[in-house]
Amino acid sequence: MTANGVAEGALVLAVPSKGRLQENAAAFFARAGLEFVQGRGARDYRGAIADLAGVEVAFLSASEIVGQLASGAAHLGVTGEDLVREQIADADQRLALLAPLGFGKANVVVAAPRAWIDVRSMADLEDVAATFHARRGERMRVATKYVNLTRRFFAEHGVSEYRIVESLGATEGAPAAGGAELIVDITTTGATLAANALKTLDDGVILRSQANLVASLTAAWTPAVRQIARTMLLRISAAEEGRQSREVRARLPSQTGALIEQAGALFGARAAHGEAPDASDLIAFHCPKEKVADLADWLLDAGADRVSVSALEHVFSARNTLYEALSARIDS
Amino acid sequence: VNRPFDQEAAGDAKGVLALARLLDSGFERIEPPILQPAAVFVDLAGEELRSKLYLTSDASGAELCLRPEYTIPVCRAYLASPLAGKEAQYSCLGPVFRARVGASGESIQGNLESFGREDFEAADAEILAVAIEAAEAAGAGALRTRIGDAGLFDSVLHALDLPEVWLRRLRRGLARGRSLGDVLADAGNGSGADQSGVLAALERADHVGARALVEDLLSIAGIASVGGRSVGEIADRFLEQAAIRAEDGVPKKKRLILQKFLAIVGDPDSAALQLRKLAAEAKLDIAAALDALDQRIGFLAARGMKVEDFTFATAFVRDIDYYTGFVFEAHDPRRADGKPTIAGGRYDRLARRLGASADIPAVGAAIWIDRLDPQTGEGRTQ
Repeated sequence: MTANGVAEGALVLAVPSKGRLQENAAAFFARAGLEFVQGRGARDYRGAIADLAGVEVAFLSASEIVGQLASGAAHLGVTGEDLVREQIADADQRLALLAPLGFGKANVVVAAPRAWIDVRSMADLEDVAATFHARRGERMRVATKYVNLTRRFFAEHGVSEYRIVESLGATEGAPAAGGAELIVDITTTGATLAANALKTLDDGVILRSQANLVASLTAAWTPAVRQIARTMLLRISAAEEGRQSREVRARLPSQTGALIEQAGALFGARAAHGEAPDASDLIAFHCPKEKVADLADWLLDAGADRVSVSALEHVFSARNTLYEALSARIDS
Repeated sequence: VNRPFDQEAAGDAKGVLALARLLDSGFERIEPPILQPAAVFVDLAGEELRSKLYLTSDASGAELCLRPEYTIPVCRAYLASPLAGKEAQYSCLGPVFRARVGASGESIQGNLESFGREDFEAADAEILAVAIEAAEAAGAGALRTRIGDAGLFDSVLHALDLPEVWLRRLRRGLARGRSLGDVLADAGNGSGADQSGVLAALERADHVGARALVEDLLSIAGIASVGGRSVGEIADRFLEQAAIRAEDGVPKKKRLILQKFLAIVGDPDSAALQLRKLAAEAKLDIAAALDALDQRIGFLAARGMKVEDFTFATAFVRDIDYYTGFVFEAHDPRRADGKPTIAGGRYDRLARRLGASADIPAVGAAIWIDRLDPQTGEGRTQ
């Protein structure tokens, strides 16, 4: 063990320590056969993975996770893209966003009072901000905790006559309380914004964020750590592929080769186990789940009599795409 | 009082040479504090500057920054001095701090600032001339000088009788490097079509009528609180847009004049001739601004500046609203990054923005000592 309690040579996996994000992250890893075990009760902030040695699980707040990944203290982590983009200016140099995880979804948006019926776009906002400044000699105030995202987005839209008021909680209340004229904040359903008489601008979505599996490019990726990452990412890929696809089986007339090629082009489906039909003359596809109905319809048209669709638990593939992506970024 | 000069603290020999020239020209040395209130810079220069500030706070929690430039600190020091409102001219030499990616955020700047002089054009000419002389004394190569005039630009727009909104948009757009066509192509707003009904209804309305309509619209939509902007302000913006919509933007004739005006670029004398010709053709009443331009050029030539080598560009304006007149930049053509070695201009509005009761004539320049040698990179390293 080193001074900060990290086992020497371990892969450090940083995951959220509380709330919905923690539950979702734990469930995500468990689905991949990577169950967290917390040492000495639920209050311990270090843990391990039940059947994979050499992983140190660090339970941290979401914003600490970004910091640890950026500094290289953690190898892999789960955190929202919003925090990555906000906290790290050169995020793409220091971190690799390996995969969106399908939970923790929220948008970072620009919201103005609903009463500003003349303001619907960022172009309107630019105009209004300039008038506001010219009339009052004061800049329009924007309450947010996303200081950097706001600056970048406003600069892209040519909005310069504003001032950021940092807000670390209940940002949506700032306009009503007179602390700011508009806000940049995270929203999932828009209900909180509506309750505070605010509206999102038409082109005011700064980022569609969700939890991501993030890799540090600055961490010490020793051969041993890379080996562990390879194992973890293979399991995660298998679980993710299983979650996102369905197996579609059908008996087709001859010449399946051309059909398989078309199914790939049209629906992103692929022949699960080679192009030859199995012993019972069935051909199996793995297909993105949102395209399953279309694929089935198309197969019926192509002469199939019945098309069966079933869920997949895991799909292990000879190509460990997540690890390949990580490996390419570490080596570049 | 010229304080003894601490060469080590202020950087290198080039800076010392530049400063000596400024002192000789009668610019008294002052050194405003390095720690400055951050809000002043953000209020004046905008949020984009904040990301470049080195921020800290004092024991009471007030937000401070390392000075990112000299003009505002010098102007604050001047306003706090007994000379406030009177004539004074200052020089400084020392580090300024702006965070930069891949380079040190500390660089050495020499500044000269003149306050309170009523002979604007002479003061303008003196500042640019002394800045160039100081840079040359410090070893600058041949610099290419570009000049412009925010005052002339504003008077052309006023002479064309364009609504305030266009004046603002054009100035801002051009300062950002957008073309006239691009700026003029902007509709009243990004969603004009959606509100064409409202705008059509408002075409012949006045402020009171517009205000009543906006109040009705809000009450129909069940919106009670307004927040930030008044109903009157929203109504005025609708009126402004309705006016733009009715005229279908800037009328073609005015657009052509603007186009011709902004295309004028060249050595100052021939540019001035073209401007007079355009003013006569288009019947623009901009005689005062043109006289000022001629006088300034005359003063520069009298100071021995090779004005025929300068470039005057009508479209050269700065996107900082306290710049009110003469603006200039001098580049070392050997520098690959295109950054200026000298930049400055007239900023009569700054004093009032910093709390003075009225505008105070002011013009100044900054010299980037680190850029005098085209080979050296930006900023200082430890």
